[in-house]
Amino acid sequence: MDRKILFFLKRIAYFIPTLLGLLILVFLVSRVIPGDPAALVAGETATADQVKAIRTQLGFDRPLYIQFGVYVRQLVTGDLGKSLYSGRRVSQDLFERFPATLELTLTAMFISVLVGIPLGILSALKRNSLLDHLVRGFTVSGLAIASFWLGIMLQLFASMWLGLTPLGSRIGVSAPRVITGLFVLDAALTLNGAALLSSLKHLLLPALTLSFASLATLARFTRSGVLDVIQKDFILYERAMGLPPRIVVCKYVLRNALISTVTQVGLLFGLLLAGAVVIEAVFDWPGLGLYAYQSIVLSDYQAILGVTLLSGFVYVTVNLAVDVVLTLVDPRKAEA
Amino acid sequence: MRKKREESRKNTKGVSRRDFMKTVGIGSLALSGIHWSPIKAWAQGGSKYVWGCPSEFQSMDPHIIYDVTTENLRLNLYDHLYRYLDNPPKIQPWLAESYSVADEGRKWTFTLRKGAKFHNGDEITAEAVKYSMERLLALGKGSSALFKPILDPSGINVKSRYVVEFSLKEAYAPFLSIMPTFCIVNPKVVEGKAGPWGSEWLASNDGGSGSYILEKYSPGTGWTAKRFKDHWMGWKGNFVEEIEFRTIHETASRVMAMIKGDIHGCDGYLPVDQIEKLEKDPNVKVYEEQSMRISLIRMHNQRPPLNDVHVRRAISYAFDYDSFIKDVLKGRVARNPGPIPNNLWGAPKDLKGYTFDLKKAKEELQQAKVKIDRPIVINPMTGYAQTDDIALILQSGLQQIGIKANIVRETWPNLSSRGKDMNTSPDMWIHWISTYYADPENWIGETYSSSRWGAWKASSWYKNPEVDELLKNARTTPDQEARRKLYEQASRIIVNDAADVWIYNTKWYGPTRKEVKGMRFCPIGDGQECRWLSFG
Amino acid sequence: MSGLRLSWKKFSRDRLAFTGFLIILSLVLTALLAGVLSPYPEDTHKIHPASRLKAPSMKYLLGTDHMGRDILSRLLHGARVTLIIAIIAVATSLLIGVPLGLIAGYLENWVSELIMRIADIFLSIPQVILALFMAKTLGPSIPNVILALSLTYWPWFTRIVFAETRSLKKSVFIEATEAVGANPLRILLLHILPNVSSSIIVRSSIGMGYTILTAAVLGFLGVGAQPPTPEWGVTIAESRQYLPDAWWYATFPGLAIFLVVLGFNMLGDGLRDILDPRIRRSYE
Repeated sequence: MDRKILFFLKRIAYFIPTLLGLLILVFLVSRVIPGDPAALVAGETATADQVKAIRTQLGFDRPLYIQFGVYVRQLVTGDLGKSLYSGRRVSQDLFERFPATLELTLTAMFISVLVGIPLGILSALKRNSLLDHLVRGFTVSGLAIASFWLGIMLQLFASMWLGLTPLGSRIGVSAPRVITGLFVLDAALTLNGAALLSSLKHLLLPALTLSFASLATLARFTRSGVLDVIQKDFILYERAMGLPPRIVVCKYVLRNALISTVTQVGLLFGLLLAGAVVIEAVFDWPGLGLYAYQSIVLSDYQAILGVTLLSGFVYVTVNLAVDVVLTLVDPRKAEA
Repeated sequence: MRKKREESRKNTKGVSRRDFMKTVGIGSLALSGIHWSPIKAWAQGGSKYVWGCPSEFQSMDPHIIYDVTTENLRLNLYDHLYRYLDNPPKIQPWLAESYSVADEGRKWTFTLRKGAKFHNGDEITAEAVKYSMERLLALGKGSSALFKPILDPSGINVKSRYVVEFSLKEAYAPFLSIMPTFCIVNPKVVEGKAGPWGSEWLASNDGGSGSYILEKYSPGTGWTAKRFKDHWMGWKGNFVEEIEFRTIHETASRVMAMIKGDIHGCDGYLPVDQIEKLEKDPNVKVYEEQSMRISLIRMHNQRPPLNDVHVRRAISYAFDYDSFIKDVLKGRVARNPGPIPNNLWGAPKDLKGYTFDLKKAKEELQQAKVKIDRPIVINPMTGYAQTDDIALILQSGLQQIGIKANIVRETWPNLSSRGKDMNTSPDMWIHWISTYYADPENWIGETYSSSRWGAWKASSWYKNPEVDELLKNARTTPDQEARRKLYEQASRIIVNDAADVWIYNTKWYGPTRKEVKGMRFCPIGDGQECRWLSFG
Repeated sequence: MSGLRLSWKKFSRDRLAFTGFLIILSLVLTALLAGVLSPYPEDTHKIHPASRLKAPSMKYLLGTDHMGRDILSRLLHGARVTLIIAIIAVATSLLIGVPLGLIAGYLENWVSELIMRIADIFLSIPQVILALFMAKTLGPSIPNVILALSLTYWPWFTRIVFAETRSLKKSVFIEATEAVGANPLRILLLHILPNVSSSIIVRSSIGMGYTILTAAVLGFLGVGAQPPTPEWGVTIAESRQYLPDAWWYATFPGLAIFLVVLGFNMLGDGLRDILDPRIRRSYE
């Protein structure tokens, strides 16, 4: 028990400095970005003198460490500053766009787990069969395809040539009444058939594209995890004792294999977050990824700081949660 | 499933697309038929007009955001004292019934019409006009750059309930022309709200009097508005009850949405291939109108080697205008060799300008006194593929006369802010000058007067005292005929100095669903004013 | 048979690794011989707007792009760009990450902690966002893309080298060497590094594939190579507005990326099987 608590404390203790380091890193890089932030705020019709005035007014001419201190102070109160481009509060922008990315990422994760794990298990159980070879081929290829290209090919095929799905954006009719911000859920809860159908159609291609890499990874790891367990001695022993294979599989194989799979969830989440940026750009999906891309392109570094911090925070938190869950489930991991 | 996809793709190469669609598409077509019809019917049948926008709406505040795309919100949700209509653009009284000029162009008095209302029922008075102008000047964004040099807040006087007078710092003949860039905002609704002059509140809300009232707004997706029944102009005949301006970034998506009927109209400056696709579609009508939107390559006239007129002339001779206009743009634009659109008064009719002539280019280079010892940087704009094409063609031409050029893409906000400072201003960048207001001042006055240095339009950093004098006189003389002669003369000198490389004047190819009637195009607004529209 | 010959025999028997190896070999040859193999080598910098968007034919095997340039020739030259970016980026990450991992793994003090915390920080932001960020800051160009990729990939090397060094350190023979009084640097270089090298090689191969994909993303998003450089990601981005009619424009560059990354992945997997059968991942 002691070891577990120590492990918890250690992991949580790493949490804060990691986030702080992240903040410093991103802040430093952002302040070096070319493109005058004061000019952005001043607007395109302002003269050079007006821009200079605004620069002083907003404190962009003060030394870096002072700017950093100000930023951290504001951060603690939840103020992420104002977008240099739109003048809106960054926290508000993030809040508004978060549900879109959440919906996309959750759906992609859902697809990966629902398809990837069974594929991995089946492939391992039916080793060296046609199915196994197909799945192995699929997983190796899945990690070699550029996700944005896959998205574009799917658009070309399913949207442009077959006319089955829309090309992009989240919905083609009026958005459903907001309860959670997830269109599919909200449409279902408010019994809005048109919105449900439209949002599902719009979600299909982006989620499928996004899930591809993590699906392949998940299938791969599940397969190897199952194979690992199957070949362990105690399984051999159980089977030799006459236990029906189905029970052996369900009782031992699955549980042990799934443990190694759960470790991948944290990694997968990072994959999905990273993939979201480019998928949202391809499918015009109005989430955090598109926001991050647009902010970077516009040199809107208040927005960049905000979105990078948010994604770093979420990623670190998810990994922490995964570690905690793992230690509870499998104490051996605490030794690592 | 994946294998089948790969196989089908292999088949596409040898088999025509039609056959491919027939074999694979039949089942899916049936499926899509079931899914699509309710949504399609919804989009077309109801009285809601949907327009696809290429960019986002960062703010709904008409005094903050001021670019060509967001003209749609200023035209539909707000009113101006005077407004441009039709093509060629005519300035019409709108909220104002009449105006008068005194003191040789220094005092402008506007008389408002009586009984015009804001969306919340308040009457539009001269006080509101005064507040709106003070607000525009104080916020310093939007179209304030047009007014700031000539007007101080102290020069705005309310003469009576419906009469407002503007006393300018100096005589300014185009003052009436810039009135349509200035929106009237309801002070009672904006005062006291969050942000300087309520700008944080107005960024997501409605403070106007226009034909439509803002209903829903989301920065990433767009906005919807409902008809304002008590609009001062009244409503005759057929009209649309609801309008939506939806953000669809990708060109291909907008075009597909047009063809499918998800949207009824979209921007009229699409790539040529997409225009052709829309023209072929039986449900889409593509209107063709001569617009006023010059495409040009800017050159930094104060930075070597571009500070030598011979180098600039050489560059002007090294761009293949014909190939670009004929091959890439399929002849759908008009060559415009000078700074003012050919279809506007002030552009000299006999101006020949530069042609693609490598021999002449090399001859000019030989006369150059400045050494070209570094590659010139050309900046096309991110998201505007045509500027990439122009940059490539220019780079290729320059290479043939021995000038090395690097292409680096930058965004419009970055370039326009860099262009304010002589040190950070680009070597060469490519953009358009659209019709913000229909006066030569918009193209030549703001661009080539040295007094306008510090604004992105003047980023060629051109300085010629003779031209300065001509443009100053043209700006202050009230007589249009005299102004015309001055602008023509200035044009000729500027072209001779090869201040920039002017390429073409745009034609507007506005795609509209066939069921939409009443489209009224004006180079200001690009067909986005919805009060004239109806579903036939 | 000598050790090398034995390894080669083993290698060529492993169909996976060998196929990957062949693909990579073709890539390298293509990159080197691009000028000779391309039917229109001048299309890397010349434009012919009159022959724009032509479908694949005998004249233009993969069709032309929107400026009339032969896509096949540009793809072949793009291989060169891709390889250069990937090799330098991975090599640089290696040069940064491996020494850091060795130091962190061998020492067990605050220096070690600091190095691993910094690695964690870099790993907590999705690499794409961080690389995008850096590339935009430094200015869009190929050298800056390489720099951005190196600065975001090194933690992977550090992590692996750290883990292996730590476990090796506890092994008997290292303890013995230390007991004899050998210099730590000597131990690191002569004893630990060789044993870690197989993981590094495997990681490098997979890293090549990963870097090529990320470089393509950066090119696609517009912060990488600038026109007229025929980088594959940039070409796909250019092609979008001409779809679906000019389908060849978008399809072939993506297939090229797929083939190349597949090759590196297969090679990496195969090498993993050969060099270190202890670390069994998924291919038996």
